[in-house]
Amino acid sequence: MSRLRSLGRWETGLLVMIAIVVVVGQAISPDLLSTYNLQTIAINNTVLACLALGVAPVIIAADIDISIASSLALCGVFMAKLWGGGMNIWLAALCAIGLGGVLGLINGVFVVLLDLPSLAVTLGTMGAYTGVAFLILKGAAIVDFPNGLLNLGSGLIPGTQIEISSVVVLGLLVGLTFLVHASPYGRSLFAVGANRQAALFSGIAVIRTRMIAFVIAGVFAALAAIFYLGNYDSVQANIASDQLLPAITAVILGGVSAYGGTGTIPGVVLAVILLSLLESALGLAGVSGQAQTIAVGVLLIIAIGAGAVIQALPGMRRATRRVPDSETGELGVGH
Amino acid sequence: MSAVAPPTAAQPVRRRSPVDRLLHHNETGLIGLIVLVTVIAEAAVPAFRASGNDTQILDNAALVMIVAVGEALVITARQIDLSVGAILGLNAYLVGSAVGHIGFAGPLVGTVMALALGALLGLGNGILIERVKMPAIIATLATLSIYGGLQVVVTHGSQLYSSQLPGWLGNILSTSWLGLSPLVWAAIVVVVIVALVARYTPWGRDIYAIGSNPEAAAYLGLRAGRRTYQAFAACGALAGLAGMLYAGQYGNVDATAGANFELTAIAAAVIGGVSLFGGSGSPLGAALGALLLTEIENILAVLKISIFAQQTLQGAAIVIAVAAYSLLSRRLNRPVRRSLRVEAGQSRPPDQLAAEGPAGTSTLARSEPVSDSVSEQLPDRVTRKEPSA
Repeated sequence: MSRLRSLGRWETGLLVMIAIVVVVGQAISPDLLSTYNLQTIAINNTVLACLALGVAPVIIAADIDISIASSLALCGVFMAKLWGGGMNIWLAALCAIGLGGVLGLINGVFVVLLDLPSLAVTLGTMGAYTGVAFLILKGAAIVDFPNGLLNLGSGLIPGTQIEISSVVVLGLLVGLTFLVHASPYGRSLFAVGANRQAALFSGIAVIRTRMIAFVIAGVFAALAAIFYLGNYDSVQANIASDQLLPAITAVILGGVSAYGGTGTIPGVVLAVILLSLLESALGLAGVSGQAQTIAVGVLLIIAIGAGAVIQALPGMRRATRRVPDSETGELGVGH
Repeated sequence: MSAVAPPTAAQPVRRRSPVDRLLHHNETGLIGLIVLVTVIAEAAVPAFRASGNDTQILDNAALVMIVAVGEALVITARQIDLSVGAILGLNAYLVGSAVGHIGFAGPLVGTVMALALGALLGLGNGILIERVKMPAIIATLATLSIYGGLQVVVTHGSQLYSSQLPGWLGNILSTSWLGLSPLVWAAIVVVVIVALVARYTPWGRDIYAIGSNPEAAAYLGLRAGRRTYQAFAACGALAGLAGMLYAGQYGNVDATAGANFELTAIAAAVIGGVSLFGGSGSPLGAALGALLLTEIENILAVLKISIFAQQTLQGAAIVIAVAAYSLLSRRLNRPVRRSLRVEAGQSRPPDQLAAEGPAGTSTLARSEPVSDSVSEQLPDRVTRKEPSA
């Protein structure tokens, strides 16, 4: 129960931080909340949102996938090549989503079936996927995609000021939230992430649950690739490699424990919103792009540090003590 | 190889012939593999035999070796450091500029400066992990952003050129002693020292003990917190040293220097048999892994295989290496495991069951998990200790 309460607090904290960024940013530059700026923020962060949403289930299951940005690049290159070969762009997009699933499955096979550390495996596949993308394109770029795709990437819903991509991401958010928080699969995901062994002995299909998490990450990377092509109208083999760390940062900032087993999907999206508003506010305040990474790093430390402080509060202490006590008994040392 | 310190005391002595023991070392296999690759390349690739190619491989491997042995210490303690690339880059610029400006700064002053600044940055990681209680992967992800951002701020769009460096640093590749450049000698000295410290000092054994079973280490009275600080400081110091040498080797340092170096270092350590689950592997193995990785890279380059195919093959090599070590360790440790399981029934965190470290590594039992499962069913995640992978 205390877990639920502290999770509630986490999202509240994110909302408070978003409010602070908005108020301070608006005071520095009134352009922050202008319609144009908000639209720009939304367009430029659909890719980040997709990557973060996709990798969240993997981290909840206590694994990690650092190959997502490379999967994005490979799916984007694959889709562009198919389209360049005369295929309909939406059919090509569908094939890219399929490829994303396969790339996730490859990670899953190595990590789950062969029992290998996910960090090492996805470090390897990260290089491998990017390399294959380079081999397909040979350093060239493909540009000038059809209008339908560009519309998805950066167009508005006719008659409104709302981005099409934002609505699609919202749909993905609702779907994933349902899958993770209101389905049997979601329950197994949290159980596997919290204690893999206990989950196994409770009869949960641990292998399948973890595999599906990796496939979700791959599929969302492919979706991110579609948005990327639609927004930037160009694809190269090394696209979006700078999106990997922000995506994982967003997941952790969103309240997903790096040890797995806790976190919420809406929290991840709030973190993406916080990060993108912060980026925009700093940009408007004249802080250079790369120097902004300092702010992101500090924000991450503050968030996790605050979480640790809350956990250390007297009311929380009893709950956190229980596990080591039981482990003590298990080892038969002390007590 | 690295038998884990405390629990092995209770183990029955298993007599093995020296040859058998040698075969159980990762390092033996790695050296064999490096020799094999070299022989094949010498025979099959004419460009590989070109004069100067062998020294080039060593020069290119030197920095990776230095960073990888530091990373190996941290990973052995069941942590990870993603910030080494940023520490390297920041040091390359700061220490490079400093020794260039200060006329009297010789190699010794420069080295001390690089080690100290690197250790300070590494200590920052240690504080976040031990004081703020952040998981290592998140803490060093944050410091990767922060140190990388600092690098952008201090370089301020400018570059450091080799003409701004003092002679001893700027000519680090063009001078040689016994056929090897000072850069390679620096790497050899670092590897030997770290390997000896990890293998033969109580400090080194503590690192293995803490990494292979943190709880058991705590009950034995080992100071895990202090060792974590020290491991991160050592790792940072070595990355800092590599940073100064980077300035000398490349003679051109900007805001992107050292980017992604952490991934190369981790890859070298993994190929060298350092388990990402902690407690097994060795700095020497990581250094050999760095050498093997660099050699393969060199062969692909002289074969004029595109840099992109190289990336693919390198990625594949990492996955294959991890899979091979995992298989080997399962095979080699089977009898030991079985005997221990019966006698001790030592418990391990669930993730250790999922994937065991590399060959000849953890001699801790993979016990039957039944007894664990009941007590660990509590969903509270905060106090769980798991590998940061």
